[in-house]
Amino acid sequence: MKVKEIMEPVIDYLSPEETLKDAVNKMRVARRGEKKVGVKGLIVLDEKGNLVGMVSIKDILKTIIPFYMSYTSLGEFTWDGMLEDMAKKVADKRVSEFMTKDVITIDEDAPLMECADMMVKHNLQRVPVVNKDGKVLGIVYVRDLYYALVKTLLDKEA
Amino acid sequence: MSQEAVAEATQQVVMNGTFWTATAIFLLAYAIIVSEKIHKTIVAIVGAALMLVLKILEQREAFHVEELGVDWNVIFLLISMMTIINLMRPTGFFEYIAIKSAKWGKGEPFRIMAIFAVVTAVLSALLDNVTTVLLLAPVTLLIADALEVDPIPYLITEALASNIGGTATLIGDPPNIMIASKAKLNFIDFIIHLTPAIIVIMVIFLIVLKFVFGKRLQVKPELKKRVLEMNEREAIKDPVMLKKSLFVLGIVILGFVFHGMLGYEPATVALFGAGLLLLLSGTHDPHHYLAEVEWPTIFFFMGLFIIIGGVVKVGLIKWMSMKVLAITHGNMFATSMLVMWFSAFASAFVDNIPYVATMNPLIIDMAQQLWPHLKGVELLHNPALMPLWWSLALGACLGGNGTAIGASANVIVVGMAERAGKRITFLRFMLYGMPIMILTVILSMIYVWLRYYVLKV
Repeated sequence: MKVKEIMEPVIDYLSPEETLKDAVNKMRVARRGEKKVGVKGLIVLDEKGNLVGMVSIKDILKTIIPFYMSYTSLGEFTWDGMLEDMAKKVADKRVSEFMTKDVITIDEDAPLMECADMMVKHNLQRVPVVNKDGKVLGIVYVRDLYYALVKTLLDKEA
Repeated sequence: MSQEAVAEATQQVVMNGTFWTATAIFLLAYAIIVSEKIHKTIVAIVGAALMLVLKILEQREAFHVEELGVDWNVIFLLISMMTIINLMRPTGFFEYIAIKSAKWGKGEPFRIMAIFAVVTAVLSALLDNVTTVLLLAPVTLLIADALEVDPIPYLITEALASNIGGTATLIGDPPNIMIASKAKLNFIDFIIHLTPAIIVIMVIFLIVLKFVFGKRLQVKPELKKRVLEMNEREAIKDPVMLKKSLFVLGIVILGFVFHGMLGYEPATVALFGAGLLLLLSGTHDPHHYLAEVEWPTIFFFMGLFIIIGGVVKVGLIKWMSMKVLAITHGNMFATSMLVMWFSAFASAFVDNIPYVATMNPLIIDMAQQLWPHLKGVELLHNPALMPLWWSLALGACLGGNGTAIGASANVIVVGMAERAGKRITFLRFMLYGMPIMILTVILSMIYVWLRYYVLKV
């Protein structure tokens, strides 16, 4: 099986100009599969439809946590309400400022093993699938990959 | 010194092809370092390599001759102290000190500023300034967020305090390490001659801070609680290693105090401390601690020493020292003051490490011309020469406060502020730094004049 056979289509995406608040809202209402709503990450496309980044819950948390906390362990010295205050401070930050810029993508014709290897090595939840010209065709989620696996194993047993 | 003697000395400098090649390498290297077009470490390594490839210096001279080559005392002192800090950092000791200080300040913004300034100065006197600022600045930003005050005055104050405090001891600031090694001065010499000046300067610095910020900083009472509720004990991540670190640090400091008496070089003391702490840590992976040594800085030093060795060998430094003597006519007070002020302004705009690396042999050359009959320690510690070393140290270290690029601590603070979304412009830093630099150098000038030329103690 190839990656393009298990990928999901891109329905919702962010633009680099949107704010953190916009992004949070879009992620909340974005569709997931047929029925479910709410996603943990979205791709970022520029006006020409080129993939320029990706935003996940982790990216949002990272930009809310003050940078100085990464220098040394100061987590014990934070206070009640700090996260909320810091979140309000960065609400208007542009997506382009906190998105992950070096997005790892996978070719549409790549075998599933390549995709699995990539996801485990780089700890990825979702990988944009691109064609030869670099255009995004869809997204493959770690759960879709897993379902493909489950199907193989259980079908064989059956 | 008579005119004939000067003329005779001048003739000793042969301005041949080698002289000009070495001078060109030196000037070009320094110009590129100042321009920051290429990383200073790369410039220093390439410059040093050229000195060797073009046979201005022999490799033996660069590696094994004290007057011309790498000053291994400086190199090993720096490497060893950095290793000790790398081992000590994960224990959480520095965070503990910083949180404890903020609580001492009772959440009062000015009290915290003053205490942080003193803590920074004391730590900078014992460790290097960059490490101190790198460890304290994150906590400062956290405290400023807790109190909802502008962190910039705090950060700038810490950079300034770090450069002032670093001036106090032999190990406080690289210029002092270099001066001590070349002039064969020990830790106690620095304590006796520089620490009193720095204590006075620090007190006046605090008074100025009080005057400038005392009333401006206000905090809502409920915010103070955030700081007071912090438990500094939670900062300690590894109490066993902390005890070992403090034990070794204690031995190292004692070793520095007595190194002159015991006949050890400071590098021996520091190397012993680094070795002992590595051993006591029980680590099987020294790679990590050793890799975190700031190797680019170490190679910058090594490269510079070789470049300077080249221009010392061809006589450029001698020629320069004669020019200085021609200006001051051998008047040592005038020379001291000239060295102090020139060093301060030079260090405010260019790296004080290459500056001091050049000035050290220059001062020694000058001394040789003034007292040709003296040699070794008798020459280096000539009572008439001593104020010159102290003036160089005070000027070069305190000069770092002048601008945002004057000292590494300043560069770090500016970088941290920028990442916190608060830009410190070159001018804004200078607005704080330059008056403080001028004030502290004036105080140093009065100190040197009173102590060495009036009271003569």
